[in-house]
Amino acid sequence: MAFPNINPERLDLGLVSPEELAEANPVNRAFDTANARAQSKPLPTEKSNRHQNWTTGQKISFRIAFLFFIAISLPTGASWYKNVFSLDWLHLHYRDLYDVARFQPNILGRAKWWPAWMGYGEWVFILLVAAGLGLVWTAVVRWRKTEPRNYNLLYYWLRVVVRYRAGIGIIGFGFTKLMPTQLPYPSLGLLNTNFGDLTAQKIYWLSIGIVPWYEVFAGVVEVLAGALLFFRATTFWGAVLLFGALADIVYVNLAYDGGVHGYSSYFVLLAGFLLVYYVRDLYNLLIRERLTVPVHFYPTFRGWQQVARIGLKSATIGIFLVLLFWIQYLNFRYDPYKQPAQKGVRELRGNYQVSEFRVNNKVIPYTPLDSIRWQQATFENWSTLTFKVNRAVPLDLSNGGGSPMRDINRTFELTGVAGGQRVFYYDADSVNHVLYLQDKYRSFDGRRGEGGEGEGSPSPKRNKEKTRSKGNPTDNWIPTTAQARIGPEDAKIEAIARTTRRTKGIQSEARQEDGKRKRMILHYQTTDGSHVVLTGIDENKDSIRVVLDRINRPYALSESTLNAGTY
Amino acid sequence: MTKAESTSQPTWTKGEVLAFRFAFIYFLIQAVPLSGRFYYDLLTIDWGASYYRDLFRLSHYAPHFFGPTDTFADWAVVALISAVGTVIWTIRDTKRTDYTALQYWLRVVLRYRLAIGVIAYGFIKLFPLQDPLPSISNLNTPYGDFTAWKLFSLSLGIVPSYESFLGLVETLGGLLLLNRKTTAIGTLVVIPFLGNIFVSNLAYEGGEYVYSFLLITFALFLFAFDAIRLFRLVSLEQPTLPNRFRPVFSEQWQRYGRLALKSAFIFFAVVVYGYKTYAAYKTGPYQFPQSPGLAGAAGLYDVAEFSVAGKAIPYANTDPVRWQDVVFETWNTISIRSNRPVKLVTDNTEQMYTADADRTYELAGSASRHYYSYQVDSVQHVLTLKNRNPNYPNETLTLHYERLGATGIVLSGRNENRDSVYAVLNRLDKKYLLNEAAKAGRRGTLKL
Repeated sequence: MAFPNINPERLDLGLVSPEELAEANPVNRAFDTANARAQSKPLPTEKSNRHQNWTTGQKISFRIAFLFFIAISLPTGASWYKNVFSLDWLHLHYRDLYDVARFQPNILGRAKWWPAWMGYGEWVFILLVAAGLGLVWTAVVRWRKTEPRNYNLLYYWLRVVVRYRAGIGIIGFGFTKLMPTQLPYPSLGLLNTNFGDLTAQKIYWLSIGIVPWYEVFAGVVEVLAGALLFFRATTFWGAVLLFGALADIVYVNLAYDGGVHGYSSYFVLLAGFLLVYYVRDLYNLLIRERLTVPVHFYPTFRGWQQVARIGLKSATIGIFLVLLFWIQYLNFRYDPYKQPAQKGVRELRGNYQVSEFRVNNKVIPYTPLDSIRWQQATFENWSTLTFKVNRAVPLDLSNGGGSPMRDINRTFELTGVAGGQRVFYYDADSVNHVLYLQDKYRSFDGRRGEGGEGEGSPSPKRNKEKTRSKGNPTDNWIPTTAQARIGPEDAKIEAIARTTRRTKGIQSEARQEDGKRKRMILHYQTTDGSHVVLTGIDENKDSIRVVLDRINRPYALSESTLNAGTY
Repeated sequence: MTKAESTSQPTWTKGEVLAFRFAFIYFLIQAVPLSGRFYYDLLTIDWGASYYRDLFRLSHYAPHFFGPTDTFADWAVVALISAVGTVIWTIRDTKRTDYTALQYWLRVVLRYRLAIGVIAYGFIKLFPLQDPLPSISNLNTPYGDFTAWKLFSLSLGIVPSYESFLGLVETLGGLLLLNRKTTAIGTLVVIPFLGNIFVSNLAYEGGEYVYSFLLITFALFLFAFDAIRLFRLVSLEQPTLPNRFRPVFSEQWQRYGRLALKSAFIFFAVVVYGYKTYAAYKTGPYQFPQSPGLAGAAGLYDVAEFSVAGKAIPYANTDPVRWQDVVFETWNTISIRSNRPVKLVTDNTEQMYTADADRTYELAGSASRHYYSYQVDSVQHVLTLKNRNPNYPNETLTLHYERLGATGIVLSGRNENRDSVYAVLNRLDKKYLLNEAAKAGRRGTLKL
């Protein structure tokens, strides 16, 4: 049989005759209205029978879905609101906005009486509550006999909330990749670590970190997906992109034990919800191959409503696309959050062979099995000394994330790494040539792994818990004169990148130091760094003398062509 | 002949007609094998264990004018031919105003071409063959001593379940292309997937960026057919017409022929290929050699004593001659870490070799260790080592071995320079964080 010549162009021009329409397959639920629409001008708001009555089942599921998605899309914790209202907009840190964008359903908190189910227990709880309340809602509507014909308007607003929640959230994440700081290029210490001495999670993160341009690409995809969700016309494409990209990330996190499967699943859920809206039309168009007339509802805005709409939309885009881009750039350039920000001693940079090693004036010859002797040493571009000793040490298996402000707490070069690698932060007195070194590893009493990317908005309560020795910032192991030469940490990055959050964070993190870190005080002696003699006291209070000779260590891995930080 | 119902389609513009003529010739040359070699290989395909290798290689077909590697120059030649063809076609065929039917058939060709392209890769990931678990040598190589491409493969290799997941998505995307009605959804799955592969190939210095981009062009062409439709429906929110064209097979032989061809494709490219990759997964991945190594010797060894030409050399990181550590794999590979530089094997395309000698995955893109395959003479207790790296073709070592208890091995004999060499190896009880952390969990504590 032949098909009548119905195409959208002819429909719009009103050229399709009723006979032709009758001849067509019994096409669509709203065919008559399509015809009507084709013959008149499209109406801005359509209150006709175009918006069909919803079935009882649809209404009940909608009520439940409405409560559920509102509950998970709006911040429920007080700390989120506190953060928003305490922002210093003139000296904004990327993490300030990141924390605004970064929340997930958290009503139960750390309740013990509800099963965790890999972090999805919360969702089930909220869904059950929403189902209960949805049924109550249904009962009330029945009892009052005020059942509405449909929930198109409410559905529209629910989609707006979910679209903006998902869009803002993914952009918060996307920018840390677009300006590649989330997964840094490996430090020299990491490059020298055997593949088998890394955790799966570390291997995954490094595998992105070694290709910064790929990380930028991943960031562009995430930011683009988020940006597309800000507009109704592009929501479908944004949701498809978000769904695909985040479903992959969920699986990555489960497979590599990355720890953010919960938060990434959250976006898959939101994107899935946004896509449900299109399923019927797409099925009709692509699988059944029928003419499809979308039934879309949206309110018209007039006067102040329109002003408010444009204003809110512009503010969202201005803050989360433009402003966040700028402060994320500053972070990337001067203060990359997983990598220390301070410059290391210039002449002490690179890979070193340990030519001579003495403890208490006794030479220890090199053997890879010795448990005291350093085997290789590395000074990074920033203020870190790494060396390898064949001795078991407690490990930090977290993902080295969070947003520590002090360099000593930026532990990405240490976390998920074994093989005898020791990582020390140092303050350098460059006049007297003394390094004051502290072990970057710190035991966290079982709270390990919670400071990751998966961390929610900052909780002042938890900060208080951590503050153990208030009022006693540090015992004075660094002489006052040396301390004066070393100077405060906060001021050591470019002025343009300094923020209120950093200043406060450095103070509060310094207060949390309990003096339990391992320490070394080593005098260094060198001309150009090719030959370095370290003498002093090691972490066991033994006197050591270490002779280092710089080695040219070529790597098979290509160098990074996009480097975070300024050193 | 087939007759098409296309009365509802508006006639095409002149530009569309021209563009289609070009696209038709261009994509046909890119997708339809024109070399005799291809058909020879197809007809002599191995029905045994090597079936999946042969099919995998066949699935890679692309026209070549300048040697066997894929290059964009080949594309330029195809485009040139198509341009000339378009001119001739336009001169000779002035009457046609649309090519709806021809477009349909071009889409059929590209759908199946693209489907085999992604299914071929999908199954070797679904049954994790493509990226195997790292060898002991790989685990004991510093991170920076691998190339980016090798790290990409190793990183995927440590999580077989994720590799399977990727393979599943890829295979499903391919299967969706086999039906006209699900093609648009299939392309929505395949385009981001291939896009990611293409960018990965660029970023990780892989060797298949041209080929993966070729598949992307096929997918984009297929998607373009529905793109406007979808845009109209979901973005403009306007009434949208479906694809109205479908071929009408009026003769019975046409109907049966279509059914037979489609069934054959599914049988050979999905059922048999799927089964054979599964069988290969069960019998051992193709990346590592299969010959067994010295029984009970697998592991990492410290080189406690070492002498060359009768002169003992103490432990040293920087000495070019002294061995630092030695790995015996479960198969017949020994890898020796020393400070003698390695000329890299830089294979970065997917190859499936049958012969052990060709299976260079374990050493590809990996510095700091020299890899040797070995033969065991268990009567004379002699190992004959041959460097596996093609850059060292004549390097052989002949070493007498003596087992000391369960963990010690003494090797003595001639090294690659015909100097006498003597080494005492002690197996280390090495615990790998990669495995230990999986047991302890991310929030666990571990001392290692």
